[in-house]
Amino acid sequence: MSMSAPPTLLAIDIGGTFTDLVALDIASGRIAVEKLLTTYPDPSAAVLEGLASLLEKSRLAPGSIRYVVHGTTLITNTLIERTGAKTALLATEGFRDAVEIGNEGRYDMYDLALKKPPPLAERRLRFDVPERMLADGTVWTPLNEARTRQICAVLRADEIEAVAICFLHAYTNPAHELAALAIVSEELPEVSTSVSHQVAPGMREYPRASTTIANAYVQPITERYLRRVETGLKGCGIDAPLNIMLSSGGTTTVAAARAFPVRLVESGPAGGALAGLYWGRLLGEQDVLAFDMGGTTAKAALTRDGELSISHQSEVAHVHRFKRGSGLPLMVPMIEMIEIGAGGGSIAHLNPLGLPAVGPRSAGSAPGPASYGIGGTEPTVTDADLLLGYLNPDYFAGGGIKLDAAAARQSFADLAAALDLPLERMAWGVHQLVNENMAAAARVHAAERGLEIRRYCLVATGGAGPAHACGVAKGLGVRRVIIPPLAGVGSAFGFLTAPIAFDFTRSYVAKLSALNLTELNEILADLEREGRGIVEAAGVPPSDISVRLHIDMRYVGQGYEVRVPFPMETLTARHIRQMQSAFENEYRAFYGQLADGLPIEAVNWRVLISGPAPDIASAPPAASLAVNDAPVAFRPVRFEPEKAPQETPVYRREQLGEAWAAAGPLIIEEAASTTIVAPGWSAQMAAGGCLLLTREQES
Amino acid sequence: MIDPITLEVIWSRLISVVDEQAAALIHSSFTTVVREAGDLSAGVFDRSGNMIAQSVTGTPGHINTMANCVRKYVAPNYPIDSLDPGDTLITNDPWEASGHLFDLTIVSPVFYRGRGVAYFASTCHAVDIGGATMGGDARSLYEEGLAIPLMKLFKAGEANRELFDIIRANVRVPEQVIGDIYAQEVGNQVGARKLIEMLEEYRLPDIEQVSALILDRTEKAVRAAVRALPDGTYRNTITIDGFDAPLTIACAIDVAGDELTVDYGGSSRQVDRGINVVLNYTQAYTTYTLMAALAPGIPNNEGAFRPIQVCAPLGSILNCTRPAPVSARHLIGHFVSQPLLTALAAIVPEQVIANGSAGLWNTMMDGMDEHGDEFAYIFFSAGGMGAAHDRDGLSATAFPSGIMGVPVEAIETAAPLLMHRRELRPDSGGAGRFRGGLGQVMEMEIITGAPANHSCMYDRTGNPALGLLGGAPGAPGEVRLSDGGRPHPKSHYVLEPGQRVILELPGGGGFGPPDERDPARVLADVRQGYVSHLAAERDYGVVIDPATMTIDDAATETLRKERGHDGAAL
Repeated sequence: MSMSAPPTLLAIDIGGTFTDLVALDIASGRIAVEKLLTTYPDPSAAVLEGLASLLEKSRLAPGSIRYVVHGTTLITNTLIERTGAKTALLATEGFRDAVEIGNEGRYDMYDLALKKPPPLAERRLRFDVPERMLADGTVWTPLNEARTRQICAVLRADEIEAVAICFLHAYTNPAHELAALAIVSEELPEVSTSVSHQVAPGMREYPRASTTIANAYVQPITERYLRRVETGLKGCGIDAPLNIMLSSGGTTTVAAARAFPVRLVESGPAGGALAGLYWGRLLGEQDVLAFDMGGTTAKAALTRDGELSISHQSEVAHVHRFKRGSGLPLMVPMIEMIEIGAGGGSIAHLNPLGLPAVGPRSAGSAPGPASYGIGGTEPTVTDADLLLGYLNPDYFAGGGIKLDAAAARQSFADLAAALDLPLERMAWGVHQLVNENMAAAARVHAAERGLEIRRYCLVATGGAGPAHACGVAKGLGVRRVIIPPLAGVGSAFGFLTAPIAFDFTRSYVAKLSALNLTELNEILADLEREGRGIVEAAGVPPSDISVRLHIDMRYVGQGYEVRVPFPMETLTARHIRQMQSAFENEYRAFYGQLADGLPIEAVNWRVLISGPAPDIASAPPAASLAVNDAPVAFRPVRFEPEKAPQETPVYRREQLGEAWAAAGPLIIEEAASTTIVAPGWSAQMAAGGCLLLTREQES
Repeated sequence: MIDPITLEVIWSRLISVVDEQAAALIHSSFTTVVREAGDLSAGVFDRSGNMIAQSVTGTPGHINTMANCVRKYVAPNYPIDSLDPGDTLITNDPWEASGHLFDLTIVSPVFYRGRGVAYFASTCHAVDIGGATMGGDARSLYEEGLAIPLMKLFKAGEANRELFDIIRANVRVPEQVIGDIYAQEVGNQVGARKLIEMLEEYRLPDIEQVSALILDRTEKAVRAAVRALPDGTYRNTITIDGFDAPLTIACAIDVAGDELTVDYGGSSRQVDRGINVVLNYTQAYTTYTLMAALAPGIPNNEGAFRPIQVCAPLGSILNCTRPAPVSARHLIGHFVSQPLLTALAAIVPEQVIANGSAGLWNTMMDGMDEHGDEFAYIFFSAGGMGAAHDRDGLSATAFPSGIMGVPVEAIETAAPLLMHRRELRPDSGGAGRFRGGLGQVMEMEIITGAPANHSCMYDRTGNPALGLLGGAPGAPGEVRLSDGGRPHPKSHYVLEPGQRVILELPGGGGFGPPDERDPARVLADVRQGYVSHLAAERDYGVVIDPATMTIDDAATETLRKERGHDGAAL
């Protein structure tokens, strides 16, 4: 990618329902958008169709496109639907069941009918390989190469498509995994291979094996898919290199994506979080809570020190979508996301205590909320929002869906009667409860990381996000809310803000007092070299590459580490003292106090190599179409349950000028969503076409 | 008056507050027992010590005993108005708290506008508490380690140095033990801070009214679940291994209207080995089992305990008297779930599961590492769970305990042990229309070059998990040494260098007659190696051609018919 000439940038996001394309012409600031239904089973069909249409409508020359970034739910869907390759596991003898034994726990203590996710490699395809490393990386039993070859013969006969290799303690010494890989590659050259020390280098055999198997499982399908997309883009006359969006918020080359496809899961939500970060930064915010609320779920991501937090422990393909522990564990870098079952379609009901509750069950888009009039009869969040006056029955989805207020009233009748509450009070309660659910999830998430949520700025997107932003913000004690433009294609837009980046991790466990600096410097140099290779392959000039180091450290004996950013330079004796104080600062920030006097050890060394993000900030803002800063209508809206509805002004977003500002309560409508500005809040147009909502200090 | 909507909003917030408490505790913990195994509980209590909300982590043995401990012991002895800001209390009294000295219960009052408004408490398993290491060998409580009567751990924010010094002087790994005490304190303080934020936001003086309403609604919901059961008395008795001689656990569940009483009359007397159970712990697992079977969606708090009475004869194995040894009390305590579920099968067979391995297998190793430093390491492992009316039992999954296993890589990083295998144990699941979960096999040795002490706490080596409604029992457990030795499953012995110990964990019981199992399921089990060819024929009457791996339908039909005539080959 050349960063010098202002090119046209293209982002493609394949979601479960829609495929979104965004083209940004840096010179003019013009943005062209295309949205169409995702095609199954071959999602590349929609990409190519959408692209042709986008190029035609926007009259962009394919040759002007210099940068393409692509994210897809293909990997996630393959794991959820279990439609991946026939995958075998080679494990240390005696440990092939680690992925089935799991953590021996139950994710719901009170569910006697609990189901666990079956491993992606069934037991008969998991093989024992005689070999053994000790925890410190010394060889206890050498790899039995003859036995490995025999297993390959069985795999060939069984027409295995992908092989995962996960040996105990391979994260400290990968020699046996590499030797086994060489044998498998030689014996079965057609088969995809994944090895644990490369896919998920870190201690804990269950999540590491699970991740390695998942990687192998999706590799063949990813390979075929990426080839189709590449060929298709060339066929459209685009010869820019294709970059792939990662769940960590960076992009990478097609080659790296092929090798580590499991790093692509949840790249769509990662794009959404990146977009939130982009708009927050544009408005000068340091701490951003990106919040996206759609029809079924709400997702949120928080920054820490101005960057989105990355986690290496997550799950995919849950048995119970919102139950932690019910999915397949993944140890790959991923933007930390909170996901809860709260969306416009979430259904209100009574819980076993006879109290009102909302979600996680959702009416989705079919049968949909009762007010859609397409079969739904249960009361949902959207129905509540309509009854409160938040939504315009004639301008929902830009008028595309006509909302039926009578049906919404009807849907709430039973619930209100059961609690002996007026209908509007009930609707208000549902609105408030769903807000509290989302706020609670964000609060616990922040607490687990020692973050002060009240300092944050909330960036709200998704069809239902802007209607609930003020309520969620209030529950969090947050005073600033941004409603960005382009909310309908937020993830794809976010892709355009992602740097080309890749990170590598090595476990090297040692007390700070006993670090072997020579060895360590060699390891770090290796990691840097490997990462530079990938980023340079994507066209980034070496001078534009930045290299960062994160060290995971803990007190000896602890099992969770604190991630400590540290300057990437050749380490000498004086750095050790700095490492200790850097750790102590982070630890104190996290836990409040130090465990004084206990020795500290470093565990994982993560090297992050990144190029610059595309320079989209230089794009001039598109000219405003402002024609009317005045309200287009007034309607009665309920903001407090005890009070009568209030006549509230309604504005059209696309008509608001750059200098527009007004005090709430008010409503701003646009085709993709409705922004509710509650009493006590004020709204103004801000940079980049954002709406900025602020809450006055309470007296 | 708080309306139902506001009540739900505040109640959800309280749950998020205790989750924040638990999160802070876990992340600052120093031990794998707490972090990886999740052997902890955390909760918030009103001014009188009623538990209102618990975090979603935790084990029933800790949560429900902690609930009783705060209400019946802490609050009466240290009424909240007698405490000062910055005070924190600690105890490990087995009778008042969670049944053995290892569990430290740490309780902190919360002050808001100068008045005590709540307690936060947590219970964590300390990795060591002095005395004999964890196991059933002790003949009295006095051999089992350091007892800490209820006292202040912090006084107005100042650490009780004398107590810390006493603990430090009594335990083998003081850094870990003291580190976790601080982690518990961190958790309580995070909870307190978040609770105060909540009170400010909702302009509440305290949580008394919310507590009363939530406990009342919970109580009503549990009463409704009990009322749905037919009145009557439902009994079951099981035999378990015991220490030297088998023990009986007998239960009678009496349902009368909306009240339920469990009486363990007829159970064995207490013994002079450390497997006795205090009533508090018996109650904890009884309430938990009943809640899981009868009212799984209802929150677990003080209100849920009110309609359920639990009694056991004083001096029995389930209500032992001081100073009975109690160190390995879970070895017996986990088993109360078993006769309870079987008794309930008479009226709600679709809500229960067959017996399973039930008792966690606790392995404790201690000795000197290669640098001459003391090490002590404990981990928990699970056998198979019992099958249900519509599904196979879960393999290698803890029930009724809620704790988790520890990765082999974590074990080997923390202790000088080498695990040679840890895999599922074929044919260990009891046959049935639905099969019991499989146990697992572990084989390990010590690699310090010096002998180590291995404390065994293993059950169901003599008495397997029984099947339900025609299901067959799971395989019993076994403990053996590579040279043929047979260690006592509830004692300790010296594991020599080069010697390996092999643990075969028990499987769960089956549900329904094995001959009613779909042959296709039997075939699938054989293909995956969960069930052997031999067992397919012997236990299920399904004949599989090993060459083609297909079912021989005719032979299967004949075999199943013959077995039907035999009647009870099983």
